Amino acid sequence: MVNRRAFMKSGALAIFASGFGGLPNFIAQAAASNKLITPYKKNKVMVCIFQRGAMDGLMAVSPYSDPALKTLRPSLFMSPSEKEGALFDLDGRFGMHPSLAAFQPLFKDNRLAIVHGVGSPNNTRSHFDAQDYMEAGTPFNKGTSSGWLNRVAGLLGHDPTPFRSVSLTSALPRSLYGDNESLAINNLQDFAIQMKSTPGAGNIVAKSFEELYDQTSNDLLNKTGKESFDAMKMLNVNNIRNYQPLKDVVYPNSALGNSLKQIAILIKMDVGLEIGFAESGGWDTHVNQGTTNGALARNLKDFSESIAAFWKDLAAYQDDVTVMTMTEFGRTAHQNGTGGTDHGRASCLFVLGNDVKGGSVYQNIKSLAKEDLEDGRDLPVTTDFRAVFSGVANHHLKISNNKILFPDWTGNSVNLMRS
Amino acid sequence: MGIKVQSVSMKLKRMARTFTVGASLTVLFAFSQSRQSTESNHLKLPFKKAGLTERQAAAHLLSRFSFGARPGEVDEVLHIGLENWLDQQFRASLPDSSVNRRLQGMEALTLSNESIANTYLTPAQLIKIAAKNKIISRDATGSLDKKEFRDQIKTIMDQEGLKPFIELQTQLINQKIIRAAYSNNQLQEVMTDFWFNHFNVSLTKPQCQQFILTFERDAIRPNVFSDFKNLLLATAKHPAMLEYLDNASSVSNNNELSKRPGRIQAQKKIEQKIQSQLAENSNTAANGFIQQAISARKVQGLNENYAREVMELHTLGVDGGYTQKDVTEVARALTGWSVTPLLKDGVGKNIMDKMGEKRMERNGFMVDGDFLYRADKHDDSAKTILGRTFSVKGGYQEGVDVLNMLSSLPNTAKFICKKIAVRFVSDQPSNELLNKMTDTYLTHHGNIKEVLVTMVNSEEFWKEDALREKIKSPFELTISSIRATNADVKMPMQIFNWCSKMGQRFYFYQAPTGFPDRGGYWINTGSLLNRMNFGLAFATGKIPGVTLDLLALNQHHEPESAEAALKIYSTILLPERNQEANIRRLTVLINDNKVGDKIDAAANSLSSANSETESDMMLSEKAEQKQEKAMLSKKNKPFNVSVLSGNNSTVAQVTGVIIGSPEFQRK
Repeated sequence: MVNRRAFMKSGALAIFASGFGGLPNFIAQAAASNKLITPYKKNKVMVCIFQRGAMDGLMAVSPYSDPALKTLRPSLFMSPSEKEGALFDLDGRFGMHPSLAAFQPLFKDNRLAIVHGVGSPNNTRSHFDAQDYMEAGTPFNKGTSSGWLNRVAGLLGHDPTPFRSVSLTSALPRSLYGDNESLAINNLQDFAIQMKSTPGAGNIVAKSFEELYDQTSNDLLNKTGKESFDAMKMLNVNNIRNYQPLKDVVYPNSALGNSLKQIAILIKMDVGLEIGFAESGGWDTHVNQGTTNGALARNLKDFSESIAAFWKDLAAYQDDVTVMTMTEFGRTAHQNGTGGTDHGRASCLFVLGNDVKGGSVYQNIKSLAKEDLEDGRDLPVTTDFRAVFSGVANHHLKISNNKILFPDWTGNSVNLMRS
Repeated sequence: MGIKVQSVSMKLKRMARTFTVGASLTVLFAFSQSRQSTESNHLKLPFKKAGLTERQAAAHLLSRFSFGARPGEVDEVLHIGLENWLDQQFRASLPDSSVNRRLQGMEALTLSNESIANTYLTPAQLIKIAAKNKIISRDATGSLDKKEFRDQIKTIMDQEGLKPFIELQTQLINQKIIRAAYSNNQLQEVMTDFWFNHFNVSLTKPQCQQFILTFERDAIRPNVFSDFKNLLLATAKHPAMLEYLDNASSVSNNNELSKRPGRIQAQKKIEQKIQSQLAENSNTAANGFIQQAISARKVQGLNENYAREVMELHTLGVDGGYTQKDVTEVARALTGWSVTPLLKDGVGKNIMDKMGEKRMERNGFMVDGDFLYRADKHDDSAKTILGRTFSVKGGYQEGVDVLNMLSSLPNTAKFICKKIAVRFVSDQPSNELLNKMTDTYLTHHGNIKEVLVTMVNSEEFWKEDALREKIKSPFELTISSIRATNADVKMPMQIFNWCSKMGQRFYFYQAPTGFPDRGGYWINTGSLLNRMNFGLAFATGKIPGVTLDLLALNQHHEPESAEAALKIYSTILLPERNQEANIRRLTVLINDNKVGDKIDAAANSLSSANSETESDMMLSEKAEQKQEKAMLSKKNKPFNVSVLSGNNSTVAQVTGVIIGSPEFQRK
């Protein structure tokens, strides 16, 4: 295996330079630095996207052939046979929402898999509880202090760089809480003490801040301070400012698009990213959800186009990356009184990668007949989210300890990855 | 038109007075207000028992019950006495000339919801006007991106005295910053911030964004020390909450009114009218919208959103012992709780005018301000909520009873008291303290002031492990910096931009939880670096529209040495804190001779650190930024003069590092 130091010495710099349209200073800096981070091999990366607010899985990937659906959702029903805004038929039973058009080629290409009927065994319909449970990975235990992705990081078994687990959010998500160093940042460009014109002054000020944070008695400030300065030293923000995605790649100008673009930068910079986290909001469609033009359609478009752009931008790095989406629960099978849907149980998720056995909908859903619904109203959870998360993480990141990953869970992982 | 609008609203007000329920509520409310001001003489702050000097206690009190001490404020509190100071804060009636002066010209602040909704137009309303005036063609898909459209719209708006929503939003944000920084009634502002966050509503939701200003002004601020049930009811009935959590559109036809034959005919008429409007209207985008509204109308019914969150987030807490069935039943009890039609020319307004107050009253409708209880949309059947039965035809009062019941439950007491203790004492308050506060809540019918009194009368509030334990939110950091340096903020929006960068885009938090109140949420790698950068930008005068005179804080004496400067400014900015560590670390820095020069050079060429535009802001916001830029160029860098005069950039630099230091992040 080529380690980082050897990689930099090997003249591979040229490849990097062409990728950014400029010389990647941070590599030069890192190379010159005596305090080089522990050498590590080029890593696999798992990128998780949390759709906060509970995506309506029954509309995103619709079991249109079920006769009950049209009755349950008179004005929200869609099918592949419509003239305009038809579903993209996946297998004669499920159809993908037309706003997910950017996913179609990936599905046809067998890189995108869909898992349906996914959710938590805990039937809470509170967003915040359900998100907590899913992110902690312990659906019946609120006391779990760590997040499941933080435990993934702990299982990787090699030394981290400051950029091993990065969340492109203004606050650290519950998924990354825990002992393993994780980093949250909204905008990579913020990684500098801003004394722009006189780098010397900036450095001195940064140093004094570093010492102050090093000495503080407050654990939180102390620990985070350390992580901040380590990361700051490693990243040169000029490279980020000048980043150009690959030709023809257009990221939607949205929160998710911007987050994924920055994850792409980190991957291409090879700063040691192994777990990336981004989120997308606005899925809580209680009112006027709409079909082809409503709030959900807009969100699905942004969601799929952001992911598709990210995937295209990765190009040569695709083999190393798997993307998995998640949402806290699904929505009621029936539409509510305001043209929307209320909090339900199971939803669906997407997994994208070159080692994904894509092109299929993985599911154990029975039907939408009243007797098959949970509490007579919701698509029941037929696949535990932990079965999917563990299946993807274990295979892609080569880890194997489900007892640590999801304590209290003894089920089998869903096998949707190529071996 | 304006006159007509007024007469209608006056009519509604008269109607409200005729309803006995509304009237008795008013009396109750007045009573609880008067009780507040007479019963507050039982403050006994046990700080000595906890080992604090009076001076330390005053500093602690200021750091928790205000947005940070101003220079000399610890002495002021000592002078009038801690208990008296607190008492004044509870009364919240100190004159506020500085705030009033700074708020002058913000004309939206005193407007009614109705005026706001008809003046500060949302992008959707602008498109409607554009379509009506044939500015955008029938095929336009609802976008006003082109400059020519915008110019034409602007002409029409100027003619009719209309304004873009962004101006309302700016005033909303600015007033919060100004009040927090300059109000003498600090605790009232701290509590307003607290309760707003508890009953969060968000500018991200178009349906409620016009009402957020009045939500804070009318539902939150007057009730911050009141009985919790008053606060709950005021928020439940406010248009902002009714729209934010969808209750305004949660309806039922399960009532006698809906089943009357005349009613069904009337419904038909309305539909015909909408259809004919549809035919007249040539804008396809607008037509699509109307079509959607019609189809939504056909399937209208229950929406559980508010019912769930009122129990999960506002009262009982997620483990408060309610079930999915309770959620549905509460939603049914609150069907018909909606907003009076506020838009002039709106269909709803015409219907209400035609119906007349007598008929509405006879049919069980009820108007209270902008709140409208629609008897024709209420589920009249019986409900069982948390084991209690609410019998048939409970009408408006049924919803009030449900909310009052929720307010009075022990789990609500626990949930609310914990939230207060977490805000004011520590991220993990002791059970001992929580039990005391909960007892007070239950024995004083949820009176918030009494709960606060119990909290500060407890030793736990003053204990060593509570001191400096809370991490400031970005808002608290910026405001405490302004207060600690007596800074003059002319462009509050710049402070807002920094708060956003540090992770707190207030008024925009999308989820009904509000911002989490714990250090771990605020402190992460990116936000910490931004806090340090804020300190530097702030103190070196690099935030546009913010001026500060650091030498004035030291009576215009230039410190005789760098070490002296460090000691002096640490003491000013961090009263009653242990300065030694900070001073020791910083001494190394300031003894580097070249630092001053380097900083100077850096500071002078530093452009505003937050000139980047926020990608998700709306078009019109750019106009706002242009305005600010224009203001800047006019004065040509007015903001760094006072700081750097007398070559005191080292003082500025030291101040910046102190503000960015760990100690200043704690409160």
